[in-house]
Amino acid sequence: MVSRRGFLKAGGLALFGIGLGGIPGFLADAVASTVTPSLFKKKKILVCIFQRGAMDGLMAVTPFTDNFLKAARPSLFMTAAKGNGNEKPLIDLDGRFGLHPSMAAFEPMFREKRLSIVHGIGSPNNTRSHFDAQDFMESGTPFKKGTSSGWLNRAVGLLGHEAATPFQGVSITSSLPRSFYGENPAVAIRNLADFNIQMRGNVAGAKMASKSFEDLYDQTSSSLLKNTGKESFDAIKMLQKTDVKNYKPENNVVYPASALGNSLKQIAQLIKMDVGMEVAFAESGGWDTHFNQGKDTGVFARNVNDLSNCIMAFWNDLVKYQDEVTVMTMTEFGRTVAQNGTGGTDHGRGSCNFILGNGVNGGLVHGLVNPLAKENLEDGRDLAVTTDFRSVFSEVADTHLGINNDKVLFPDFEGKKIGVMKA
Amino acid sequence: MKSNIRNFYLCVILFCCAIVFSSFVRIMGADKVAMPYKKAGLTTEQAAAHLLSRFTYGAEPGQVEELTKMGLDKWLRKQLEGNLEDKELDQMLSKYDAINFTNSEVEDVFPQGFRINRWAIKDGYLHKDSLNNGNSKAQREAVQAFMKDKGYRPLQELYRQFISQKILRAAYGQNQLRELMTDFWFNHFNVALNKNQCASFVPAYERDVIRPNVFGNFEDILLKTAKSPAMLMYLDNFSSSGVNVPMEDQEMMLMADGNKMNVEEKAKNKARINKIKQQIQQKKKQGGLNENYAREVMELHTLGVDGGYTQNDVTQAARVLTGWTVAPLGKEGYGVGNRNIIERLGSNGLRDKGFVLDGDFFFNANRHDNGEKVVLGKKFPAGGGYDEGVELLKMLAHHQSTAKFISKKLAVRFVSDAPPASLIDKMSKTFISSKGDIKSVLVTMVNSPEFWSQDALREKTKSPFELAMSAVRSLDAQITQPYELYTWINRMGQQMYYYQAPTGFPDNGQYWINTGSLLNRMNFGLALASQRIPGVSLNLAALNNHKEPESVEAALLTYSKLIMPERELGQTVARLKPMLNDPNLQQKVAKAAEQNSANKQNGEMADQQMDMKPDKKEKMKLGNGKKAMENPTIKEQKGNNTMLAQVVGVIIGSPEFQRK
Repeated sequence: MVSRRGFLKAGGLALFGIGLGGIPGFLADAVASTVTPSLFKKKKILVCIFQRGAMDGLMAVTPFTDNFLKAARPSLFMTAAKGNGNEKPLIDLDGRFGLHPSMAAFEPMFREKRLSIVHGIGSPNNTRSHFDAQDFMESGTPFKKGTSSGWLNRAVGLLGHEAATPFQGVSITSSLPRSFYGENPAVAIRNLADFNIQMRGNVAGAKMASKSFEDLYDQTSSSLLKNTGKESFDAIKMLQKTDVKNYKPENNVVYPASALGNSLKQIAQLIKMDVGMEVAFAESGGWDTHFNQGKDTGVFARNVNDLSNCIMAFWNDLVKYQDEVTVMTMTEFGRTVAQNGTGGTDHGRGSCNFILGNGVNGGLVHGLVNPLAKENLEDGRDLAVTTDFRSVFSEVADTHLGINNDKVLFPDFEGKKIGVMKA
Repeated sequence: MKSNIRNFYLCVILFCCAIVFSSFVRIMGADKVAMPYKKAGLTTEQAAAHLLSRFTYGAEPGQVEELTKMGLDKWLRKQLEGNLEDKELDQMLSKYDAINFTNSEVEDVFPQGFRINRWAIKDGYLHKDSLNNGNSKAQREAVQAFMKDKGYRPLQELYRQFISQKILRAAYGQNQLRELMTDFWFNHFNVALNKNQCASFVPAYERDVIRPNVFGNFEDILLKTAKSPAMLMYLDNFSSSGVNVPMEDQEMMLMADGNKMNVEEKAKNKARINKIKQQIQQKKKQGGLNENYAREVMELHTLGVDGGYTQNDVTQAARVLTGWTVAPLGKEGYGVGNRNIIERLGSNGLRDKGFVLDGDFFFNANRHDNGEKVVLGKKFPAGGGYDEGVELLKMLAHHQSTAKFISKKLAVRFVSDAPPASLIDKMSKTFISSKGDIKSVLVTMVNSPEFWSQDALREKTKSPFELAMSAVRSLDAQITQPYELYTWINRMGQQMYYYQAPTGFPDNGQYWINTGSLLNRMNFGLALASQRIPGVSLNLAALNNHKEPESVEAALLTYSKLIMPERELGQTVARLKPMLNDPNLQQKVAKAAEQNSANKQNGEMADQQMDMKPDKKEKMKLGNGKKAMENPTIKEQKGNNTMLAQVVGVIIGSPEFQRK
């Protein structure tokens, strides 16, 4: 069992009197606009976005020269060629793959080689159940249900230093996702503004209650309750340094008013507050497009538009922190090569994912997508999984977070890395 | 000759006596509750408080005295029987119709979302070209109209009812230990509502598979979970299939392989042998074997991760359990293929061909791998069919490793996060000697000094569910909207019935107490005490027999004692006193509260009227034991009561109250 660490014991922050309710002035400034010398040793931050429901990788990043795909998707297939009426063409990335036009926000990043794409990524376990596939991807053990921890929790444990704050691993969800299950500290926060002692409208009452609790927890004989109590109150004070409700992003960035936009905005706030966060998690939904997924407009277009715009808002908001941050998307599986009878696609195998960051080996579509002839498809119907998700996840985590124990991060995995990050 | 016969009879008689005697001893053993709390230096009141904190969802006001009077052993025996009359609870549960549905009824009334869309298209309510995932308003309305016309209800409603019943049972049920054990075994044999394929079957799983069997034999509950649709779906065994080669073909293959055939015979049968080989290859290619259940039944349900099995045992056990699947449920539910088999063969045909249809369980002999297997060194000869699966589970249930694993888990649940080895030893010995009798293991636990030692007292941390329930029970709160409590329990870090991994929730303080969850525990206390949780009301004045405490300090002392009987409260009271004595504080709080009271009161009154369903009036009439609900006076609400609520809220959120 992991021993509880005294919050800020080693961090030095306590010296500035946070425990007494004071807020170091320069910390408050940190939120404003400039990056001040960090109290903690500069830490890298990995932000993971889980696209629940299984994104159609073949529509997000289309091998548009593939005639098998064209034939299998009579009403879904798009090309990079102009002149298709009002239909927007794909964004030609490399003569073979085209980015969905609603993800135009990603194009500059790809051209600047800061965005990389892995195609044909997925799990070696061929389950097509959302639940099982998500479970396996989040636990990181594709053939073992009983793994008690999630891979991001293990990543937190492998960072190689004690948590300076309770925010080392943060999920912007109402409950802890499977990825964060485990013994290392991780916290689920739905809304930063709620992270406080609350008495609706009764400020004096809340203050009194807060003080009472703080005092009680400080005196309790249970060290678990005592230490966590202290952490909690220190954490409140950390978050109160800034007006989380009236947050002003940098660069006049406007986050899309979507669930993902809201999550990433809060992650950006935590990064700027310098609360010691190193692994963050957010979710994006609506990818299970069995019905009329559309082409350049429609459900799928709206989804990828939101995904790319949220990520780019986040990226531009963090203009001064971009060297520290890597963003990685993931989805449980891809969708059938052929469209179904209701203008959508069904559960498949391989999909694609996006990795954004200055340390990324960008501007490339990594992985292997063979011509989508029936004999090349998995079970005769799906884009084959040619890259194990663990290969990519471990490379990103290792390179960006400096983790060097893949045996713990992904037990039973022996595969090679494919070079999605710069060497 | 004669003496031989006489000896024989004598032997038989002695043998019978021995059986009768041993079962007598066993019954006596199971029944003999001798709790050594006095030796541990506890008063009967203290022991009662400890017992209540571990074997109920929290003491109700006056319950410590009640137990002391009744006798702890008598109370415990009744709890271990778990059949106390529960009229009040039954009345409360009566408004939740769906919690009594069979799995088939659930399938028929609460179809999965994807089915509804498909059917709505078929019946012309929706046009397939207008369908999208964006859930447009038009689409939602069309689906609603379709559901209404057909009498379908949304699954979410089933979950809400199901979650509500759990909360009401824990809060008001008389058979508290049965509920705790239901929670324990459910978590041990975890299934989850977030897996669509099994979600519909979870309510019946808890009701029929878990709750009635919590004190019985471990073998029974193991076998029943293995055969339940919820578990079969959750760990995918429903889909696991193997190669079924007819017995005569198998014999032939064995003979051919073992060179027991002469050349002529071989030549004669060559075509047939090749065909069988081809079939086996083809089946293998289809990859029908699913090891998920076989692995977890050993790792999580019986032996434990270090219980001494190998990957090969897992694969072999999975082969034993191929063909164990779900019977056709509902009119259009899962298992159409099986339905055809059942209709075609009829009950006699099924039996003759080795199929088993048992309630919601179906053994599909065609999908069973009927070759020979070896699990944990035990040989399961070819052709074992359904029975070999039962045999396997029985073997696992009575394994030495299982005895230890289950005993430890029970001790962790009821005694301490790190229970002493001596206690686990005693419990596992009982587990073995009683052949897995859970009640006997529990009795051994409370008969052990370790249960009563200083190291165990207040050592456990309440789970969020336990915290919420103990708060509600200690304040004698009236719950009319149980689901509102669920959202708080979730916020405190326990999304009940949604724990994704088959491990179930970890059962230790380290897991429950973290920064975010701890803050929410404090906020829960404040929200509950100041009646800001819709559908949960309390009467703090009534709790103290309408005696208004003379001072804030007196309130603190009085209510601390009421809420946490038999606890050492010196520290709590001493720490809070100076703050409460701030001369301006009360004024400040009251003023702030009054500023809000106008809209707040209006809002809450409206809420309350909305919630005043008939059952609440009924409940108020029935009262809850001694105390009847009375409306607090305006003065109480506005003035002192704000302060009192604050004090009580802080007590509920205090570190002492998080412990049990």
